[in-house]
Amino acid sequence: RGDKAVTYEMAHPPHYIAHRKGWLSLHTGNLDGEAGAAERAVEDAFLRRFLAGTFPGVLADAAVLKRRANLVVVCAVLARVLPPAKLYFLVGYTETLLSHFYKCPVRLELQTVPNKVIYKYL
Amino acid sequence: MVMAVAAGRWAALSQAAAAPRLRAAALSSAVPAVSGREGQPREASTRRRGRTPQFVRSQAPPRTERMAVDQDWTSVYPTAAAFKPASVPLPIRMGYPVKRGVPPSKEGNLELIKIPNFLHLTPPAIKKHCAALKDFCTEWPSALDSDEKCEQHFPIETETTDYVSAGTSIRNPKARVVTLRVKLSKLNLDEHAKKKLIKLVGERYCKDTDILTITTDRCPLRRQNYDYGIHLLTVLYHESWKTEMWESEKSEEDMEEYIWENSRSQKNALDTLLRIKASENVSNVTEEELLASDLVNDYRNSVIALKNEGETENNMSRYKESVKKLLNVKA
Repeated sequence: RGDKAVTYEMAHPPHYIAHRKGWLSLHTGNLDGEAGAAERAVEDAFLRRFLAGTFPGVLADAAVLKRRANLVVVCAVLARVLPPAKLYFLVGYTETLLSHFYKCPVRLELQTVPNKVIYKYL
Repeated sequence: MVMAVAAGRWAALSQAAAAPRLRAAALSSAVPAVSGREGQPREASTRRRGRTPQFVRSQAPPRTERMAVDQDWTSVYPTAAAFKPASVPLPIRMGYPVKRGVPPSKEGNLELIKIPNFLHLTPPAIKKHCAALKDFCTEWPSALDSDEKCEQHFPIETETTDYVSAGTSIRNPKARVVTLRVKLSKLNLDEHAKKKLIKLVGERYCKDTDILTITTDRCPLRRQNYDYGIHLLTVLYHESWKTEMWESEKSEEDMEEYIWENSRSQKNALDTLLRIKASENVSNVTEEELLASDLVNDYRNSVIALKNEGETENNMSRYKESVKKLLNVKA
């Protein structure tokens, strides 16, 4: 029908990873001879659910999780729905709560877009 | 009244917006991308009383439009950070284009955020890093200016590996492995001790480089493994100097290299020569004389060379010559 708007992430099925898409979560656990892949996967799942709950209707696209040694960087693209004051509060809340929960620094790097970035209409 | 209140809140909000901007310049870690949202506070307050919760997009232009060409890039990206389209003044497009279209632009482009970028590691940034680290570095000791001197003063080389990974734990069980390398020529060993040590360590000794390598990983900590390695070295050294009673039973099969004295080859050669001499009715030549003669020496050297070094053209021709001379076979 051509009216379902999809983002780039949603438009490409998983077999396009490493061809047209990158990875949403970057960590060393999946490398050869490295441990901790399962733990990172569980952390990723929890982080995505948490973000979906803390920013309902605000997330414009899937969150990208990057891990740099101890640090977890959550890169999210948000739509401009909330006033900045509320956004700052949510950011601080997320960061402190997750840092205390995982005992490692959690940083949120945000980008706001006016609307969801539509790739194509299916 | 409404306008006054709005103005007051606007001042507070703009301060709130200004503070993060300052903190961003000072390497703060908890600040989201400010670029797209500075203009919002101004609009936000005046529209807060409006009907829609959405905020008007006509805010301040992104930071890229106010960037000078010769700006200090190290202050835009002082540390590793995700890609911020409003802070990078490049018209980058990334992604697979739609049919008869172009790759998606950089605003809200998740692909650009996913990839690790090195915008914080431009050459000027690295120069600054080096300049900052220089204060913590010390000079290489000038007395150790060659490899040989290093080997002479520090004969034992210790090799350990540290592992870095992304995650909440810094422990890695592979980090406890310790490898010690030492050249046997640096140890004070005599012939017997050296042979005994080589027999004791077996595969850990490399004949070509004369290096003994001991790898330990049986202890849970690196320090324990290092101590164990040093202990092994000490024990090997002392044990190889001792001579046990049963070592006198060393037979020919245990020898590392071929020794001609008291071997079958010597017996056979002497036997043959004695019989030749007897058949020629020469006066009884003693064994010592025969052994000292050139013929026998030649034969001895060629046999030792063959056995120890293997069969080469040279060795085989030497052996042929010596046998011909020994048996007095002409051409």
